[in-house]
Amino acid sequence: MKRKVVAGMMAALMAAGLLAGCGNTEKPASTSAADKSTSAAATSESSKSESSKSESTASGDAVTLKIFSNLPDRKNGQGLVEQTIIDDYEKENPNVKIEVEALDEEAYKTKFKAYAMDGMPDVVSIWGQPSFLDEVLDAGVLAELDQDAYKDYGFVSGSLDGFMKDGKLYGLPRNTDVAGFYYNEKMFKDNGWSVPETYEDLLALAPKINDAGFVPVAMDGGDGWPMAIYLTDLLERVDGTISEKVNKAVADGDFTDPSFVKATELLKASADAGLFQTGYDSQDYGTAMNLFTNGQAAMFYMGSWEASMALNEDIPAEVRDNIRVFSMPATKDGKGKQTDIAAWNGGGYAVSANSKVKDEAIKFLNYMYQPDKLSKYGWENGVGMSAQDQSAYMTGNETELQKQFLDIVKNSTSTTGTTINDRGPSAFKTSIESEIQNVTNGTTSVDDFLATIGTACK
Amino acid sequence: MKKLYSNKLVIASLVFPGLLVFLFAILAPICLSVYYGFTDYSGMGAANLIGFDNYKALLKDSTFWLALRNSLLLAIGFICIQHPLALIVAAVLDKLQGKAEGFFRCVYFIPNVISVAVIAYLWKFIYNPDFGLLNNILHIFGYQGKVNFLSKEYAIWSVLIVLIWHGFGWGMLIYYTGIKNIDPVLYEAASIDGANKKTTFLRITLPLMKPVIQINVTMAVISALKQMETVYLLTNGGPGNSTQFTANYLYQQAFKAFKYGYGNAIGVVFIIICLLVTVGLNKIFAEKTV
Repeated sequence: MKRKVVAGMMAALMAAGLLAGCGNTEKPASTSAADKSTSAAATSESSKSESSKSESTASGDAVTLKIFSNLPDRKNGQGLVEQTIIDDYEKENPNVKIEVEALDEEAYKTKFKAYAMDGMPDVVSIWGQPSFLDEVLDAGVLAELDQDAYKDYGFVSGSLDGFMKDGKLYGLPRNTDVAGFYYNEKMFKDNGWSVPETYEDLLALAPKINDAGFVPVAMDGGDGWPMAIYLTDLLERVDGTISEKVNKAVADGDFTDPSFVKATELLKASADAGLFQTGYDSQDYGTAMNLFTNGQAAMFYMGSWEASMALNEDIPAEVRDNIRVFSMPATKDGKGKQTDIAAWNGGGYAVSANSKVKDEAIKFLNYMYQPDKLSKYGWENGVGMSAQDQSAYMTGNETELQKQFLDIVKNSTSTTGTTINDRGPSAFKTSIESEIQNVTNGTTSVDDFLATIGTACK
Repeated sequence: MKKLYSNKLVIASLVFPGLLVFLFAILAPICLSVYYGFTDYSGMGAANLIGFDNYKALLKDSTFWLALRNSLLLAIGFICIQHPLALIVAAVLDKLQGKAEGFFRCVYFIPNVISVAVIAYLWKFIYNPDFGLLNNILHIFGYQGKVNFLSKEYAIWSVLIVLIWHGFGWGMLIYYTGIKNIDPVLYEAASIDGANKKTTFLRITLPLMKPVIQINVTMAVISALKQMETVYLLTNGGPGNSTQFTANYLYQQAFKAFKYGYGNAIGVVFIIICLLVTVGLNKIFAEKTV
């Protein structure tokens, strides 16, 4: 009898343990349910308060906006700009509480997918490129935006194209990105090197710089995308206008056009000439950039978002004050000029289709794109160019680097638009960013490279 | 107490939590994987059944086979290099006694205590051609060039060295515990009979360690096949796909290339391979003990 009691107690204990376990997992669920009900209440309340706007707006009911961002560094550059705007918004709208979740680009994209299955945060970072947006729009997780509402926002012409599908707008671009060679002007002068006028000059510089004990161009080849931008830049030099050609090649899965062959050969010529550092194909962004900012490399091929280097106190003044930029020089027998630049509108923001506080989310989105927010703050922090007209915010105190980028854009005769790696489905992006390492380091031939990336499009 | 354990209610309640964990954390995901393996699911939106298309593509996917080859290479590296070394070091440690024993036990286990992210970046810097430790050592000896340890030719070996080094302490600790459990009386008897150190190791330590070796080697092979995080952080499969490993490739396909269905197909093949290897290893060891 006694044993049965003990047995019963053991069983009860186990059951209790189980229930406790369940209880724990249930907890967040129940709080989120509570969240739901409060946020649902909030939306209904806010719609009520809209109808009776005469009441003070500041005393509106509490709204929590969740923002999912790809800018984990909230104290520098673009992340600081984003955070400043969030702080401004909270100050102006005391009833709104903004929660930010920020992850690195790759982790961001992975979690974005998890959210897509299970409820998105209200405002999210997106990329206006087929490699990212195609699948996302197919899944229908982003809210459609009213195009007419953005007529007066001063968006650069064509910058919204990547964020549209079937004539509907799903997001807004944050930056205009331009690729170029950052170079250390002082190092160039001290060693008697001149800024290359043609691509052939650039290749000829490689042995000279190597002999002087420096790395000619610091290249983040461990990630495939900087070299894909490089390839896009070269394609534009070879062919003049590449947009349609690339789109057609992606659609057909056929990259045999001579322009692709020529541009890939030119890219390989850079690697073969020793233009990039030893082991470029396995080094990451930070390592490559450090080579340049530490004064070990003469040049650094990267996008305009790194223009804030000129303001970064962590970089030795000797380097920081001497950073200048030039765009990819033209090749001898190419159709493109140096002013046909690699420029595109990549990153941006969108609102979740299923957001429970959609009105507030769109209000916040529009707030960010007020001309004196993203554009102004971005300009002041030297994070490069926004996708909107920034001319009103010129202070005359811009860094040399900012002025040079402005000139490059102002004098451009054509732009590439979305870079080649982002023009296809994400399987194509994964393929080209890995295969481009193989073709530059000589593992595969140019023809095999083009065939492989063609297959990945299908 | 014995009667307590024969009570079916008690047995059921004790087994139930474990069973539950197995059902929902292992069996259900595997079933889902098998299902998604037959679809073209991108990770978002709708999933369409496409039969064996993913598996057919997998057979023709040279990167997958390369990744699998690398995983098996790592398993061989574990069995042929890491474990013999670990076993010998454990036996030597056991003989050291005193403070030295504790000290070296700690030292050899340190790589296991450090986080994988730190390990990966540590070695990234050690291998760096411009400022890395190894290149600087070469320069001391008068070598002027830059050796790229992560080039397409050497990268796989450089990665193997890191992985073997990293897992060494864990294997050694298990062997060490096994050796400590061997009855010292046996060693005394052996020394009375005049056996030297080599004979003692081969005739007493090794045979008694067989069950430990079996478990350790099985775990090592599975961990080799599962290898993901160090490779992901160190090279992410590059340059090209020269250091691609199966688990990392699965991740790339499922989460970066938006081919969730294909990733699951890789996962299913992967589970089958892991099971086959485990069964195979058990067979091998079973034959030896007979």
